[in-house]
Amino acid sequence: VRLPVELLDNATGEFVEAELFDEITVEHFLETKRTWRPLVLQARRKLLARGREDLVPNYAHWDWTTKEPLLQMLAMKFFGIECGGKLQGIVEIQMVGYECRVPTQRGRDLVYVDYLQVAPWNVRLLMDALGKPTQFRGVGSRLFEAIVRFSLDEGFKGRVGLHSLPSSEAFYTRECGMTAAGRDRAKQNLLWCEFTPEQAQTFLTGGAR
Amino acid sequence: MLKGRMKRMNQQRRTMTLNLSEQEMRVLEDLSTQKDVNKTTLIRQALRLYQLVSARLDRGEKLFFEDQKRKKAELMVL
Repeated sequence: VRLPVELLDNATGEFVEAELFDEITVEHFLETKRTWRPLVLQARRKLLARGREDLVPNYAHWDWTTKEPLLQMLAMKFFGIECGGKLQGIVEIQMVGYECRVPTQRGRDLVYVDYLQVAPWNVRLLMDALGKPTQFRGVGSRLFEAIVRFSLDEGFKGRVGLHSLPSSEAFYTRECGMTAAGRDRAKQNLLWCEFTPEQAQTFLTGGAR
Repeated sequence: MLKGRMKRMNQQRRTMTLNLSEQEMRVLEDLSTQKDVNKTTLIRQALRLYQLVSARLDRGEKLFFEDQKRKKAELMVL
């Protein structure tokens, strides 16, 4: 099943129709390797040449093709967004292995966001490094909304948790309204962010942001 | 934007009757309360976990639990 979602086309300032889907295949992983990775590495080289190692995205080394075996697992699920025949973003979530850490929800199951990546041509930091404009806005937000709605539909009541990369902390805590529940020494000291059912509802009704 | 439409992705479901003993049902209900999920979600979680653990054991990996004192104990999965 594919669902229509809207993305903002930065070139025209108009919303365009894209598709959210969950039938991710190895072909999509290969597409990230073929079309995303060269741009990420090119931008990384430019940033390093300018001495801006601090701006190199933490996901520069991600390789989605290693995730092929996970496509068979019930505990994991993938969503993607396509527009103009190209993959614009992809996310991997897990339904087991992580629990809520916010005191009011402690020990309850949640949907854990393991990896979320937006195509490099939609990431301002990378396109700035390459001297090019970004294409679409809203890919990450639409994927994140899909995760929260999936959590509701699957009986987790909107509970979502993730370890945020440093570059995304402001997005999850300020724009989405997740609770920052401490840094995790077992996970590269990344910030644990979590949605309670109430926060998820607020997010979905547009209360956060 | 996706309100009310995400369920379409999960529509192709099949229904079965599950027979449980009194004790099994009590455990299911207790865990559902503890985890704040309904019984269907809990059973589906159990299936997800069982498949994941089985797949990793089949690959030759081992399952360990770790207590507060960081002492590991291997868990036998039959």
